Amino acid sequence: MTIGRVTQRMLTDGSLANLQRNLGQLAALQERLSTGRVINRPSDNPTGTTAAMRIRTSVSDQGQYARNAQDGIGWLTQVDSTLDGVTTAVRRARDLALQGANTGAMGQQARDALAIEVDGIREQLLGQSNASYLERPVFGGVTAAGRAYDDTGTWVGVDGAVNRRVADDVVVRVDVDGRTVFGDGASSVFAELDALATALRAGDTAGITASVDVLRAREDTVTGVRAAAGTRYQRIEQSAQAADDAKMSLTNNLSSIENADLAETTVHLKLQEVAYQAALAATSRVMQPSLLDFLR
Amino acid sequence: MAGSFGSINTALSGLRYNQVALDVAGNNIANASTDGYVRRRVVGASVSSAQAALWSRYDGHGEGVAVGEVRRMTDPLLDARVRREHGLLSYLSTSRTILARVEEGVGEPGPNGVHAAMLDLRNAWQDLSLNPGGTAARQQVLGRAETLAQALRSQVANITGEEADQRVNATNLVSEVNTAASGLAALNHDILVTEQNGTDAGVLRDRRDQLALRLAELTGAVTTVESDGQFTVSVAGTALVQGKEAGAFVLASGITPTGGADGSPISYRIDASWGSTVLPSGSAGPSGELGAVTEILTTTLPSYRAGLDAVAADLAASVNAQQAAGYDATGAAGGPLFGYDPLVGAASLQVVITDPARLAASSVGGGALDGGNADLLSRVGTYPDAYQRLVNGLGTDVAALDRRTANQVALAGALDDAREQQAGVNLDEETVNMVTAQRAYEAAARLLTTLDEVLDTLINRTGLVGR
Repeated sequence: MTIGRVTQRMLTDGSLANLQRNLGQLAALQERLSTGRVINRPSDNPTGTTAAMRIRTSVSDQGQYARNAQDGIGWLTQVDSTLDGVTTAVRRARDLALQGANTGAMGQQARDALAIEVDGIREQLLGQSNASYLERPVFGGVTAAGRAYDDTGTWVGVDGAVNRRVADDVVVRVDVDGRTVFGDGASSVFAELDALATALRAGDTAGITASVDVLRAREDTVTGVRAAAGTRYQRIEQSAQAADDAKMSLTNNLSSIENADLAETTVHLKLQEVAYQAALAATSRVMQPSLLDFLR
Repeated sequence: MAGSFGSINTALSGLRYNQVALDVAGNNIANASTDGYVRRRVVGASVSSAQAALWSRYDGHGEGVAVGEVRRMTDPLLDARVRREHGLLSYLSTSRTILARVEEGVGEPGPNGVHAAMLDLRNAWQDLSLNPGGTAARQQVLGRAETLAQALRSQVANITGEEADQRVNATNLVSEVNTAASGLAALNHDILVTEQNGTDAGVLRDRRDQLALRLAELTGAVTTVESDGQFTVSVAGTALVQGKEAGAFVLASGITPTGGADGSPISYRIDASWGSTVLPSGSAGPSGELGAVTEILTTTLPSYRAGLDAVAADLAASVNAQQAAGYDATGAAGGPLFGYDPLVGAASLQVVITDPARLAASSVGGGALDGGNADLLSRVGTYPDAYQRLVNGLGTDVAALDRRTANQVALAGALDDAREQQAGVNLDEETVNMVTAQRAYEAAARLLTTLDEVLDTLINRTGLVGR
């Protein structure tokens, strides 16, 4: 820059412009510090804004996936503990059938007592088949009726899977169709227990022996379903963990894009303050002298 | 050789000249901080009557000094460049100011904008899919859908409001252009007359330069200096001021006198005695503040609004289509959730379902507690991406304008500096001029005293012998 003439006005205008610029930078830093954010509007960093919006989408999605997974875990926990009880109950029924099949050691009175216990197990299983999570039967599909089996052992649910989305493209089923566990109507565990009780009361040894096999098969079925549900439980738990982890690291990313580094910003503010004070001091000195001060 | 009193005249001319020099220095000092003032310098001309008769010989040494001219220290080339760069600067800074205001209303990225409302709605659908029987979850979907619709509507309202403001602004600018143009034409005339009378028109020229600069800032007008010193001002290639006549700058179409929109594109016209011309539009049209306002009204804001319309249209269409694919709590097929009128755009977006049971969360009929459709509803549409691109585009525009404005401020500042170097008043310099003139005045007065004494000697003390 070649300076030919310098006028007082150039000095004042220049000083004012510099003071303005300094003050503007102070204001920008002050905004960053007081909002704690480096991106306060899209133009502050258009690319960063897009990234921030994308990450916000992901954070929100992952948070939702974690919530979905928690809900799914609730369902599957209920399914698992119920199936645990079901296994125990079916095994007990099979034990009773085995006892009843032991004709030599057992009189009809004892078999009647066994039959009463089998009836009790049937009631217990009926209760378990209607196990619910947050007032929805976990074996009833998508029914709105509140129960999966009626008292006759007939499935009254509505076909349909209860799914939970736990990642972008991962949907996990969190319920179990009651029919795969308990059967339905004539082929249900309730009918099987009824048959056992009837056979016990009638002293029908062949019938009791047949029930032993049937109940063993039922036990296997229940165990199989429980294992399958357990696998899904594991998947959903891993997903919940993954969603939590992803949310945390995404939140960190978001913070590194959007948020101001307080220490760094404070140092910059301090530097800017010094620059502003220097500009003020320079202005006050530049404004003072003129030839008139030296002519008398 | 001049007569006996010739030298007294020389001394007198020195007194007069230095008085003018003091006057001019005083005027410069008085106007040191006046906007648009150009410093003056007295140009002295030494006087000689060397207009001797034929064959005669002039043996004088000059008859003193006269004020040759009070020169305005201006540079027409520099003035033209200052006008051009200031025109561009006001175009950029006006665009930037308007867009930055729109951008502040967007509120992104953050927890309260349209984008956050979109995410909230998605999550509400997911929550509904977890609990399709819950009235609270359904109510939440309705609430968040309304929040989203409202957020989009309020952005559109921001833009519509800005458009209305800028239309009024355009009519104000047009009237300012006309005032400046007629003022400039009048000054053209006054300067011509004043100077023909032999009077100094410096003050009028200062004022005319300021008006020419203001016209450049308002419309990007180009000023050319005619051979007779008159300014011709043209906007977008058409003369607005010629000599003492100014044309009328007219808003030809697009904006009604009350600042409303009349549906046609915005165009301007110049009506003058040399014809009525409709100015070109776009980059060949008026520039400066008016050009910025016109472009914002013609291109920038409508395209942002169209982007919001597309976002709203996609939201309504994709959600309504998915609603129709599912079943509500009563088991009936889902009806539209959003009302949207493509003729009105995003401003018409609203939630039309009031009964939460009417949300089609289920993908199976018969009133089953299924959340499959709610899950799908959270995933339809591309409106969040489209909205992100829109915000990114706006942010990029504002950031680019920020940079260009900063560059232009530097450029215009450098030119202003150059002009100030040429035309500004330096108080030290004026003090020196003042002292010089004062001393010269004193010396001329001394000359007069000396001559007086010489003549006194000659007249009163010479030839006393005969008394």
